[in-house]
Amino acid sequence: MNRSQRITLYILILIAGASWIFISADPTTAAMAGTSAPQAGFSAPDINLKTPQGEEFTLSELRGKAVLVNLWATWCPPCRAEMPAIQRMYQEYNDQGFIVLGVNMTYQDDPFAVTPFVEEYGLTFPILLDETGETGAAYQVRSLPSSYFINREGIITEVVIGGPMSEALLRTRIEEALK
Amino acid sequence: MLILFQNLFAPPRHMILLIAASWIGLTLAEKHSERHGVSREELNNIIFYGLLAFVIGGRLSFVLQNITTFAKSPSGIVSINPDIFDPFGGVAIGLLFLLIYGQRRSLSLWPTLDALVPFFAILAIGTGLSHLAAGSAFGKETTFPWGIDLWNALRHPTQIYETLASLLIFSLLWFQKQNPRPGILFLTFIACTAGAQLFIQAFRGDAALIFDRYNQNQVMAWVVLVISFVLIELRINPIKKPG
Repeated sequence: MNRSQRITLYILILIAGASWIFISADPTTAAMAGTSAPQAGFSAPDINLKTPQGEEFTLSELRGKAVLVNLWATWCPPCRAEMPAIQRMYQEYNDQGFIVLGVNMTYQDDPFAVTPFVEEYGLTFPILLDETGETGAAYQVRSLPSSYFINREGIITEVVIGGPMSEALLRTRIEEALK
Repeated sequence: MLILFQNLFAPPRHMILLIAASWIGLTLAEKHSERHGVSREELNNIIFYGLLAFVIGGRLSFVLQNITTFAKSPSGIVSINPDIFDPFGGVAIGLLFLLIYGQRRSLSLWPTLDALVPFFAILAIGTGLSHLAAGSAFGKETTFPWGIDLWNALRHPTQIYETLASLLIFSLLWFQKQNPRPGILFLTFIACTAGAQLFIQAFRGDAALIFDRYNQNQVMAWVVLVISFVLIELRINPIKKPG
């Protein structure tokens, strides 16, 4: 292939590429917020669970607050390891409109171990019991801990799968969700 | 099959796919490195130090961007969280390091980049697979029969598209015997990858937009395509210096 043939080929490819950009342009691409899914950019799937004391919490009623949904179990070592940092961050950012929902995967945990766990770590944020696995299924949980940072509009800003999360990581994600 | 794969390599285990791809890529790159005049040892060093610079650079870049946060929690700088990472900063610092390393070791730029092509090509395949496992880089909703059920909708399997495209590009370049000038192999790889991304990104469901309409990644891929064509032409017909 000589030089002029090559240059013609380059130009044709570039015109085809530019045309494809125009043809495939879709302003609705970023409109994920209306759909609910456990992934950054989507609306957070709703949660409606009770604490061990019977108090009911609904995630969608917390609009206007930044929320960390932390899915955990008592037998999970990284879940245990990150709890003190989560508690510290809850205390530090709570007055700015930040709340933590600690959702225990009760359907795959020992329900009698939850209250001693909460007392051992001095957790003051709401601990919810997922007894049927409904929330676990809605959040498509495949690893624990799984953490979902949700902004004031109810959109997931960040997902952190696995742990333990460090205090610095929590701070960066919480501040992003609070914006 | 897909569910089994996604369960097996669910995050954070999807990183295993990237590590495996790096190892296979390095092994294959070693096989052809002598052909480009780069010794196996030198290639190993480049990839090892490059990856090290990428990892450290990505962490440092993230820390610098969130310096006030890390001033409050300095121990977080050395924590094991892979999420404390800026991939763009990592790539920039990794490339900068490789340029400095190459200059100090008097390595020729283009033959070295040619020798690295199998590594990059296999890494691209691994990246597609890790996206599939993590459900990231997902596609738009579709009614096509090959759509996959992801994030509560039937979507274009963009992760499979990118894996297949990377596999095709690797196959084409691996069996390519001719390399008219040093650098052509690498630039062809870049042009093919940019072309594939230009096409596939149109099906992404999470694309960032320019002017609220045009896919940012497609525009970037088009620009990379232009640059790679210009460089290919300059490699084939270098500009002669006067005199």
